[in-house]
Amino acid sequence: MSFNKEITTIAEASLPIGEQWSIRRCRLSSDTPGPRICITSGIHGDEMLGQLILYTLSRTIQEQPEFLTGTVDLYPMLNPLGLDLNDRMVPSNPRLDMNRAFPGSPDGTPLETMCWHILHDVEDADLILDIHASTNDKNELFEVRIHYPSHKDQIPKAMPLCPDVIWIYPDKPSFDSSLTGSLSRQGRDAFILEIDTRSFLPETDCDRVVSGILSKMCDLGIWHDPARIRTPAHPVPILHSGVDIARITCEHSGLYLPVHHLGETVQAGEILGHIVSAMEGTALETIFAPCRGLIFTQRACSAVYPGTLLARIQKEAAI
Amino acid sequence: MKKEVLLTVPSYFRDDMEIRMFRFGKGEKSCIIVGALRGDEIQQLYVCARLVSILRDVEKDGGLIPGKSVTIIPTAIGASMNTGTRLWGPENMDLNRRFPGDPAGSTTERIAHALLDRVSCYTYGVQLTSFYQPGSFIPHVRMMNTGRQNPELGLEFGLPYVYVREPRTADHTTLNYNWQLSGTQAYSLYAGKTTEIDENAADQTLRAIIRFLNTRGIIRSETTPGVLSSIIHTSDMTSVSASSAGLFRRVKLAGAHVRKGEQLAFIMNPLDGSVREVLRTPVTGTLFFVQDGPFITEHSVVFNILSTKK
Repeated sequence: MSFNKEITTIAEASLPIGEQWSIRRCRLSSDTPGPRICITSGIHGDEMLGQLILYTLSRTIQEQPEFLTGTVDLYPMLNPLGLDLNDRMVPSNPRLDMNRAFPGSPDGTPLETMCWHILHDVEDADLILDIHASTNDKNELFEVRIHYPSHKDQIPKAMPLCPDVIWIYPDKPSFDSSLTGSLSRQGRDAFILEIDTRSFLPETDCDRVVSGILSKMCDLGIWHDPARIRTPAHPVPILHSGVDIARITCEHSGLYLPVHHLGETVQAGEILGHIVSAMEGTALETIFAPCRGLIFTQRACSAVYPGTLLARIQKEAAI
Repeated sequence: MKKEVLLTVPSYFRDDMEIRMFRFGKGEKSCIIVGALRGDEIQQLYVCARLVSILRDVEKDGGLIPGKSVTIIPTAIGASMNTGTRLWGPENMDLNRRFPGDPAGSTTERIAHALLDRVSCYTYGVQLTSFYQPGSFIPHVRMMNTGRQNPELGLEFGLPYVYVREPRTADHTTLNYNWQLSGTQAYSLYAGKTTEIDENAADQTLRAIIRFLNTRGIIRSETTPGVLSSIIHTSDMTSVSASSAGLFRRVKLAGAHVRKGEQLAFIMNPLDGSVREVLRTPVTGTLFFVQDGPFITEHSVVFNILSTKK
């Protein structure tokens, strides 16, 4: 059985001085036809974990091509200019969030054109996964985020990924203009994978996600290594926004000093962190857990404003 | 004139950011004008500042109609304006992509909610807005087709065009879109430039607002008559995009009447000066939008032409 690797430019625009703004796809495929999975990352230029995840996945597939049936399309760098600058946005004039520019347009701005080509390149896949890594000052367990209107069909399909939680993402207008939101609106199977515990060993996070993706590829019939088939070790909590998730914010501005709890179950009333003032040398606010549950999002030590998200707790009842 | 603070956003490193409002008159909440929602909307701030000054004089002269009131919010993002950052810095978020907001949400969602909550109780709303591409427009009033728009009323600004645009997905999170849905007759005015002050465009925008306030019976103040406006739609526009990149040299400016096949601009190789592309108009019409950045990227929409005949 032979194996093919092909790198293709799916969208490009000339920049003024001798450079192409290119979005490229690496296709790993078998000669035998089969299902197709598309995995994207780097839509936000400050999220680097996706690079490691797609590198590891690609290497794993290339080392054991005999297990592959079908097509794996990898798009590690959807926002190459932003990634180069470690900037979340596309450094166009003005800076714009690529994940708020979908579905794009074939005759729109360069960014809208790029988004349109990306969407059309992935839309006939059997599954599309868009990998995110939170923001620089926020840590997340391994989450699969599913668009609310299609969640009933998609929850069973997400289980082989073995995430820590499945979050039924709210039906907000801002989500419609994201890559996953646009695909979900078209009735496609598309999930956001969110993870970054910002540990000293990012390989640990990476291995979780790669393991989940290979398990899902087994489920789809793309990967045929029985050793990679996974089922969640514990029931995966299904979280609905506003019902199963306690969103912890602050009311003071200051420096947030978290007490490390990511991945732990806290009790109601337990201290999550403090907001302090370095100038005054005083504590301004103590943040308490409003309920018992698992901390699956936690802000790192950083400056905060009223309304800044400090943590998300999976309420106990949702477990 | 009454000064109020709509919202105070405390900061850890800096002074708190106050969103300030200037209210003229008492009684019915007739009209509210919102300026900069992004840190680079200097022209929008400038027009509001001048409007506050003009209305102060109108008030002194007894030109406010009893029982009516008009409010101006020059900026909702003063902290970003002070540091020259377009977005809300701490969250790297575009405030005009966070509506309708959330009172328990992130900082930008809280600002958006507080702003929409305050402005949606007015009968008429005017947002001085900028475009997401650098460029110049023919002065016009703009609104989105939400099913609640009232373009006929927009004619009262006396600007050449009232443009009813089909909303894109991303537009559903803008102030104008949500403002209209809340029941206010909301209009966007493009005040020429964004990052720099354009006196002529500012004067024209100010006259349009004063004219509207006059015809709506909110103030009584002398102003020049407006022009006869036309209502136009997205289907009336033809776009011209660049199929190469380089230095962009305009030949025609916004407002020019152009005939089919006429040269609009050329794109120059930024290293050797050779011409990479000559852009011509595919239709006869009026240049409605002209991009004015010095650099152009391939696929950029550089002209929108209002066709005289489709």
